[in-house]
Amino acid sequence: MSCPHTEQEVGAYLDGELELTSALAFERHLEECPDCAQALAAQRALREAIGAADLRFRPSPAQTRRLRRAVVAEPAAGAWPSWRRLQAVAALLLVAVASWSLGRAWPPRPAPDFTDEVVASHVRSLLAGHPADVASTDQHTVKPWFTGRLDYAPPVADLAGQGFPLVGGRLDYLGHHPVAALIYRADRHLINVFTWPSAYDLDGSGADLVATSRQGFHILHWSQGGMTYWAVSDASEDRLRRFFVQEHRGYRVRVSS
Amino acid sequence: MAPYVQVAGGGYTIAETEHPAMLNKLRDRLFGQDDRRSRFDRAVLPHLDAGYDLARWLTRNDQDAEDVLQTAVLRALQFFDGFHGVNARAWLLAIVRNSFYNWLEQRNRGHESADPFDEEIHSVASGGADPEVELLRQADSRLLRQGFESLPLPLREVMVLRELEGLSYKEIAAIAAIPIGTVMSRLSRARRQLQDFLIAHGVKERRP
Repeated sequence: MSCPHTEQEVGAYLDGELELTSALAFERHLEECPDCAQALAAQRALREAIGAADLRFRPSPAQTRRLRRAVVAEPAAGAWPSWRRLQAVAALLLVAVASWSLGRAWPPRPAPDFTDEVVASHVRSLLAGHPADVASTDQHTVKPWFTGRLDYAPPVADLAGQGFPLVGGRLDYLGHHPVAALIYRADRHLINVFTWPSAYDLDGSGADLVATSRQGFHILHWSQGGMTYWAVSDASEDRLRRFFVQEHRGYRVRVSS
Repeated sequence: MAPYVQVAGGGYTIAETEHPAMLNKLRDRLFGQDDRRSRFDRAVLPHLDAGYDLARWLTRNDQDAEDVLQTAVLRALQFFDGFHGVNARAWLLAIVRNSFYNWLEQRNRGHESADPFDEEIHSVASGGADPEVELLRQADSRLLRQGFESLPLPLREVMVLRELEGLSYKEIAAIAAIPIGTVMSRLSRARRQLQDFLIAHGVKERRP
């Protein structure tokens, strides 16, 4: 290229990493420099191919399990003085006893299998043509709607940017209790996410992700941060897993300004 | 080097850990290590997949990736106090990367470094012609994977962080401990090599 702009600049422009003034200057330059325009087209084509190919490696469920287990087995910090260890054990026992009694008082407990109920609820909501009691793409509309209807606040994620816009929320009934159902969209598929407080997960590590399918629906089940989640959809399992990953991030992570 | 990454502006902030460090210290004292542990779980464990992706691309092997990631996560747990609530993903990825290079060094002890790398730019920049652009656009995932694997480590890691993990130049610079200018030049070289690879192989496969 005989022009002062380099391929590096083309890449930085494509990555949105040029300062605004440089980006504008570069855009003007593009109109009169076929070399740069060509380089941009090539880099853009490469990016499109990479985007379409999905090259990320994901750990297998067995690997994820092993990794989590390794973390759980490790003491949280180096060697503590033994009296602290004793204190911690005593505290844990106390918490265990307390949560045992609380756990008895607060169903729905994470029964081994809610799968059928969850699928039935999902299908019912679709059949009725009424997936949402409160239809809004705004998490700040949906979340407060549950106040006064439930005695807990279900986490609502904003995943529109990741391709899973919020559709709304609905009150549903599972395990003899009212629970929150959040509805997200994945293209033309709806995802129902049922959420309720789990019986206090003591180690805070969250349960492993459990994936099943039933009558052509895919179901993911996990618990995290003291809440139990059941997601069900007719979207592909891979899609649902991607939703899970994004949703996981969505609660804890927000884009800073 | 402490595995601590401060990425100012842009990127992600962990809402859960936005409490001032003081509050966390207080919570640790009140509730002991269990609370520290659950903060760790909430902040770091959601990024296991990103860590695995990077480890897998660097090691080019499932088992090694798992080993490297496991070492990294345990190290992250050990150094969690040095993490100040800014961008847990970038923080974990930096530790994964360090763990990988430690692992590589141990494995290569006695041998010379696996990937000699020359920072100078030798290739002459040139834009692709139209049919080449078409070839690039049609590259399938098998060929792209081969292309990524063919990149030398320093190029592969910036490419994975940018194109697969979607990190900003600033975040990549912090993770790979290189200046932003170097991030730019490495990305540029990586893309050039990848384009050349795809065009060469795409053309070859099209021939009857």
